[in-house]
Amino acid sequence: MTKEHNRTEKSPGLPSFSSRWLAEVVRLQEEARPSLGPGPDDAEAERHARAQTQDSEQRIVDRAYFLAERSGALQALLNWRMHARWTLLALAVLATVSGFSAALTVLGDSGRPVNVVWALGALLGLNVLMFILWFLNMLFAGRAAGGSLGRFWLWLSRRFSGSDGVYVSHAFSTLSARAGLTRWYLAAVTHGLWSLLLVAALAGLLIALALRSYSFVWETTILPAEAFVRFVQVIGWLPAQLGFAIPDAELIRRSGVAATGGAGSVTLQSETQRLAWSSWLIGTLLVYGILPRLIALLICGSVLRRALSGVRLDLQSAAYARLAARLSPNSERGGVTDPEPGSLASAKLSSATGRLGKPALLGLELGARSAWPPLVAANVRTFDSVESREQRAAARNRLREEPAARLLVACDSNLSPDRGSLHWLAELSAFAGQTRIWLLNTESTDAQRYASWQESLTDLGFARQQIMVDETAALNWLAAAGTGGADE
Amino acid sequence: MSDQILTSLGKPLRIAVVGHTNTGKTSLLRTLTRDRRFGDVSFRPGTTRHVEAARLLVRGRVVLELYDTPGVEDPIALLEYLEQQAAGERLDGPARIHQFLDSPLAATRFEQEAKVLRQMLRSDAAFYVIDSRDPVLAKHRDELELLGSCGIPLLPLLNFVADAQAQEAPWREALARVGLHAIVRFDTVAPASDGERLLYEKLSTLLDEHRSTLQALIASHEEDSAGRHRAALQQIAEMLIDVAACRFPVRETSASELEKGVGALNKMIRQREQRCVDALLSLYDFDAEDIEGTELPMTDGRWEDDLFDPETLQAMGVRVGSGAAAGAAAGMGIDLAVGGVTLGAAAAIGALAGGGWQTLRHYGDRLLGRLTGERLLRVDDSIIRALGTRQLQLVQALRGRGHAALTPAAYSQGDDAALWPKTLPRPLRQARNEPRWSELNAAVDITARHDAVMTLLEELQQLSRQAD
Repeated sequence: MTKEHNRTEKSPGLPSFSSRWLAEVVRLQEEARPSLGPGPDDAEAERHARAQTQDSEQRIVDRAYFLAERSGALQALLNWRMHARWTLLALAVLATVSGFSAALTVLGDSGRPVNVVWALGALLGLNVLMFILWFLNMLFAGRAAGGSLGRFWLWLSRRFSGSDGVYVSHAFSTLSARAGLTRWYLAAVTHGLWSLLLVAALAGLLIALALRSYSFVWETTILPAEAFVRFVQVIGWLPAQLGFAIPDAELIRRSGVAATGGAGSVTLQSETQRLAWSSWLIGTLLVYGILPRLIALLICGSVLRRALSGVRLDLQSAAYARLAARLSPNSERGGVTDPEPGSLASAKLSSATGRLGKPALLGLELGARSAWPPLVAANVRTFDSVESREQRAAARNRLREEPAARLLVACDSNLSPDRGSLHWLAELSAFAGQTRIWLLNTESTDAQRYASWQESLTDLGFARQQIMVDETAALNWLAAAGTGGADE
Repeated sequence: MSDQILTSLGKPLRIAVVGHTNTGKTSLLRTLTRDRRFGDVSFRPGTTRHVEAARLLVRGRVVLELYDTPGVEDPIALLEYLEQQAAGERLDGPARIHQFLDSPLAATRFEQEAKVLRQMLRSDAAFYVIDSRDPVLAKHRDELELLGSCGIPLLPLLNFVADAQAQEAPWREALARVGLHAIVRFDTVAPASDGERLLYEKLSTLLDEHRSTLQALIASHEEDSAGRHRAALQQIAEMLIDVAACRFPVRETSASELEKGVGALNKMIRQREQRCVDALLSLYDFDAEDIEGTELPMTDGRWEDDLFDPETLQAMGVRVGSGAAAGAAAGMGIDLAVGGVTLGAAAAIGALAGGGWQTLRHYGDRLLGRLTGERLLRVDDSIIRALGTRQLQLVQALRGRGHAALTPAAYSQGDDAALWPKTLPRPLRQARNEPRWSELNAAVDITARHDAVMTLLEELQQLSRQAD
């Protein structure tokens, strides 16, 4: 029973995105094998879900958790998540190592002077280009956007997740696509990895600058020196606002190595020169490399966090609509509250004996639709169409005073035969030698209603041939009363 | 719907569904509860001999209890008996009914009517169901007097008003003469789309203190109905995108290879359509046999007419393109050349900016195809139109049918113009060039496909709003 007790807890340990993710996985599994029908756990899962909460989405989630625990889908999801995290970690390590080593490589060994502009390009160039591309992609590709590093990570996770993980990754993509999360988490991963890389590069840069001595030059074959001066100062403006020292124009000019001219006063750069260049390098790396990435990461991260808590299953999609209708039905049967009795005694046909008078033609509830009364032979008594209590009483009294040898009752077969009319027919038959029923309007009656007339009349005691449809035959039978013919 | 309304709902409302025998009371309940199997309906009179309850819920709370009752079959004699019993005493309506219920005949001759009256005394209101094809007879008037004396509001419901033999005017007059002026017109076979809403609205005028309950019920039903419709259109949109983007590669253009390829492609499309049809039927809670019929184009839940037969398309009003030769599968478009695509630098950068590496790969695939002589088979526009047309017609038929209908759906075809006669909508045109949007192909780009489906869904919703 302890197992039972544990099951009554809500889906423990899974935040709202993951629990819905699990629901998606279960749905995909069920859709993949529709012919198998409900499994053995299904009924219990539904009961469990209904017991916990009224909210239909939460019921679906609870049911999915119940089923997934038993079918192994929960384990598959947790495994996939773990694999994804490990992959991310591996990529992070890779990024850190490559950033660090990139910085060291770019600076080179301390023998040769560092081509400072080239070094900047090497450290930042690819990063800035990818960032601009990402930005354009975000603007123009809408929801299909996402950083390429992020896509790479996703692709790697899928590769390592194996066959179990197919549904899990599909469900993940579907849920994210619906919530519009895809581009945000892909971008977050991309920016995160790039930030790591750049921070590692910065660390490498700092360590190298701290422990080795470098000298900085810029080289050119075709560009004028002014271009470089301008470039360095323009680029350095923003870091300067943040407190980094940048080289002044004179220093920049002196650090140049041109095709014409000598080797420049390279080897004997003063401390201030080196410091200035170093700080420029670090500042630009920080401001143009790390900061944009970090800011983008923060933005994507916060959007993601807010969106994650708002992820909902699409209850209006076909699959969930059916499930929600099953778990939270809009109507239910309340059962029989007043059961039907066993068979009750019903009226039966009878006939009169003794002195019988003229034949009678009577209409029951004929309404305005049927032409009444029809032309009859002279010896036949016709009654008006009988409807109300008074008319019934009057007709019965007339018949009681003078019972008929033959009685023909015309009924509209469009109406449904009810117990009241049948009871009254049985009463009437006590005042007639022979009674027959003439069903009118049978051509406009549907087959089932006609059959129900037949059935009710035969239950009453009428034989099949006593139920007439044809007008001539019925009236002829009636007029033939008194000729002593037996009831054929 | 706010939680405030939900918490303010009190005890469930109890409504008795009463009327003469065989007027469609059980049918009405099946329509209102959307439960095909409620009760047991046929044309045999007096089929319901018990009282059965059905509950309507909103967000898991019971708001309405409906009680199906046996038909009243002998009102004339019963009223007579009641009057005889109460002769000499000055009793009001409900008192007389109680007196009757205590008498012996309530258990024997009038047992059925006693059930009805007992249920009415326990309810807050009653729907009095009338078969408007019947003439107004004296027994109906006696019945109204009986039921009206129970002391609860009576809402007459004229059923089968869509039938040719229906006579509303005499009934309205007869009801007015006993003071019943708020009347509901209903047809359980083909209920009007707002029939239920009008029913509950009129009921709320009779039961003022339960107004909020009924408003909540109406709102819930409308939400469900709109949601169901949207889900149905989404199924269709997904199918259309899958079909439009579907590709079948063939190695060479020899006749036998083409034929095999065409056969395989057609089979895929047919299966995909069947999946959509099954989903739609299940969404509206219909079985395959509900749409059955010899003159109808569906059997056993499947379309009878072959989608790829030019005659089918013509019957649907879809213009068949000039490429449809007899013998070849109609509507097969062969994407013979990947031509026109230049991989200039500008295009490459545009591709990167627009879609990243995917687009580049896509162009790469096509180039490779050009080199190896691979051809791609895909489905013609006319097939897509035909698919869309007939699936939308199916949804219309499903929406318009109540759950009580016993005869198969009458379904119009051929007269309506086909969908999108000029050009296909944008997502479908885009899908022609995006094999990754189809679940029928190997690799699927879920995000892009989802976006395309959503866009097409909006288009379909707009179309259906115009059609309504």
